[in-house]
Amino acid sequence: MAQTRREFIKKAAALSAASYAGLDLSIDRGSVANANENISWHRGSCRLCGVGCRVELGVKNGNPVGLRGVPEARTNFGYLCMKGMHFWKCMGHPDRLVKPLYRKKKTDTFKEISWDEALNIAADEFAKAHKEGGGEAVAYYGSGQALTEETYFFQKIMRGGLQSNNVEGNPRLCMASAVGGYLTSFGADEPIGGYSDIEKAHCFFIIGSNTAEAHPVLFRRIMRRKLDNPDTVKVINVDPRLSQTSRIADKHLQFKPGTDLALLNAMANVIIEEKLYDEDFLNKYTTFKSGKETVDFEAYKAQVAEYTPEKVVTICGNSFSADDVRETARWFANSKGTVSLWTMGLNQRKQGVWANNLVHNLHILTGQLLKDGADSLSLTGQPNACGGVREGGGLCHILPGHRPVANEKMRTQVEKAWGVPQGRIPPKPGLHTMAMFSAINDARIKAIWINCTSPVQSLPNCNLYNKGMAREDVFIITTDIFHTLTTQTANLVLPTCFHFEKTGVYGCTERRSQLTKKAIEPPGDAKPEVWIIREWARKLSEKLNDPVIAQCIKPFEGLEEGYELPKAIWNEYSQKLTAHRDNDLRGATYEVLEQMKDGVQWPAPTEEYALTGGTVKKFVKGRDPMADTESKDDLPYQFYGPAHPDRKLWIWLRDQADPEEIPDSEYPFYLSTGRIIDHWHTMSMTGRVPELLRANPYAHVEINPKDAQKLGIKPGDMVELTSRRGVNIMPAKVYEGPVEGMVFAYWHDQHKDRMINKVTKDAIDPGSKEPEFKICAVRVKRVSGPQPLKPYLVG
Amino acid sequence: MPISGVVISCSPGHRYTVIKNLNAYKSVEIHGADHRGNIVTVLETDSSEEMEKLIERLNNHDHILNIGMTYLNIEDEAERMARGETTTKPFGFKAPSV
Repeated sequence: MAQTRREFIKKAAALSAASYAGLDLSIDRGSVANANENISWHRGSCRLCGVGCRVELGVKNGNPVGLRGVPEARTNFGYLCMKGMHFWKCMGHPDRLVKPLYRKKKTDTFKEISWDEALNIAADEFAKAHKEGGGEAVAYYGSGQALTEETYFFQKIMRGGLQSNNVEGNPRLCMASAVGGYLTSFGADEPIGGYSDIEKAHCFFIIGSNTAEAHPVLFRRIMRRKLDNPDTVKVINVDPRLSQTSRIADKHLQFKPGTDLALLNAMANVIIEEKLYDEDFLNKYTTFKSGKETVDFEAYKAQVAEYTPEKVVTICGNSFSADDVRETARWFANSKGTVSLWTMGLNQRKQGVWANNLVHNLHILTGQLLKDGADSLSLTGQPNACGGVREGGGLCHILPGHRPVANEKMRTQVEKAWGVPQGRIPPKPGLHTMAMFSAINDARIKAIWINCTSPVQSLPNCNLYNKGMAREDVFIITTDIFHTLTTQTANLVLPTCFHFEKTGVYGCTERRSQLTKKAIEPPGDAKPEVWIIREWARKLSEKLNDPVIAQCIKPFEGLEEGYELPKAIWNEYSQKLTAHRDNDLRGATYEVLEQMKDGVQWPAPTEEYALTGGTVKKFVKGRDPMADTESKDDLPYQFYGPAHPDRKLWIWLRDQADPEEIPDSEYPFYLSTGRIIDHWHTMSMTGRVPELLRANPYAHVEINPKDAQKLGIKPGDMVELTSRRGVNIMPAKVYEGPVEGMVFAYWHDQHKDRMINKVTKDAIDPGSKEPEFKICAVRVKRVSGPQPLKPYLVG
Repeated sequence: MPISGVVISCSPGHRYTVIKNLNAYKSVEIHGADHRGNIVTVLETDSSEEMEKLIERLNNHDHILNIGMTYLNIEDEAERMARGETTTKPFGFKAPSV
């Protein structure tokens, strides 16, 4: 690179950073134009995490050469994290899958085949399984990383074509309890507010989330709010583990894993005892529920009265004082606006829905909702868990547009929209994730399509389920960009386009849908999933001699796959399936999304409204068009969500309940698991970015120094973690992170000795069916001093 | 040779300590700072790997709370990758088994 060009680029970089900090640098702005010479910039969303940061990909001669934030985007205001900055390296990576691969037996070696052969095999195997066992013998297992168009189209073929509700996705492993919490507390899935509340909040209640590492760009906004208002903004961090997030906290409450339900009830108790609740709000908008019964405020008061701060301190492990509980409750209730944020620490629990309910309870009780600066905001981990899977019909019990599949009226609406015969969609919900992989274990499911996810590594107690995936009588198709541990169990591996190599919509945490258009060509023969689905379904229709399957793809026949095809699918979904539903996206057409730098928040029934950005606060008259059109009285808030016929918010009476497995003399430690900043999920993408892999080449286990001393473990020693299900051996990090009595392991490592989901437990929440990844009991033993280790990526 | 525009944030009271520390890095150019603890910098390293290491080192500084990247140019490296001259194969890299 010529010196002058380097200087131009450096000046452009300085100006970019300075503009965000509001600093005026005396640099000639012509440098930016020179730095951008021959580079075209393409707007889209970041591929990683659920924040929905908007980026622009710089492309020169068909190759990605730069990335920059979009300063006007209300998700990230131009900031990006290091993980996000690296996703371009997956494009053109030498490890990319570029040809369809097939093997008849799973013990055979893969051979390259043509797309025509691959699609014929895929159709043959699904047709064969369908003839043998109908819709119950086939399954689709998708991803919160798939585009909405992909999830919607896959489930359409499965339900309308193959008459199967065996449609699931990995958000069952991460978000299902948040869905359950929102539906049971607020009557509607997804948050009432969003990120814009951060800059107006006066109290942050962060529980079960290491926001600083898992959602660094949002953490930056919280940090900025705190640093700019150090005396008037409080940050409370509630977590068994101290983390980077704790660095900005005014108060950190560390508790014994699984005891936070008691803590949340104790906060409610203090709020009631000290009369800090919003009586008017409760009278107008609240119903109290205990199981199937409707109760009253007095019953709730009596229930939480059992949770005195003193008693709860003991339950939680004596790491904080009763006064800490009281002060936390006061900060929460008395602030001008409180935002709660959480992720898997609450969701991945046997009591995940209850934990969500108890956070919502605090917001309802104090009226810390529906106003600017106040919200109960579940953060999502994947870029399209909300938009694609929760909204697009990607779970076994829901159809597109938040429609329960068991409801005949809802099924009929969908059948009419698709032009398929009434009664085509089966009324019985399909198998949820853990039931689906149990059905694979005993070959009740004969053919499964796994798209953009790696259950071999990501299911809890994975040794058990991997036996099923290794069966020769279960045909497995995977669609992905790289090999994963799951492609190693597949018969057919289909290479797909990566982000910016195809077009489609992601819907992030805050009900915001954003479009990413194709900007570069995919490598080799990789294809977008929407093309794969259409071509497969056409062959399926022929092989099963079923014209209804052909009807499912008829509106999309002949369309070019890079833009026209996803646009037509999005149009069908948004115009026909979200109309008059709470996630009304009719205004968010491709034309509108292309104009918007940061997409549209639903409900957005018209294009004119969508062009304003959509709905910042749900349920508020004058701010949410559906609150006006669905209004039933003169009150300013209208809870029109589909799950609460009384149109009220529900406070739930929920008691402390233990996790499925608690430590005993044989397995005396709690184990929890999570992410590290450099890696994402099963590392199939981030592991191929050398910078990220080298930063954290393998998983390790964090051990509290007091526990390490008792066990004779020094930093770097190899440690064996044993549960009732499996064993891992990994190096120790002795660290004041986890509370005494608990160890914490990262879950990205693909090596068989360090794949922590061999150890985790597959107990599930009875309501959400989400597994309890976050808590199980283990034995911890030093096996040797430090050992040289090699990172491992399946190839 | 990647070049990035980065806003480094620290608690305002530690701004001068952090700036002094950043001045010790030859890969870090400081372009300005404000009273809120925002420090505008340009990072220039020999490779993305060095950039990652540098950011990790900065992240571990006691008083630095967040590294917010706003711009990244990697055209040299991208062109090398496109020409197949990449040196960025990760540990344990293996070609897909066919």
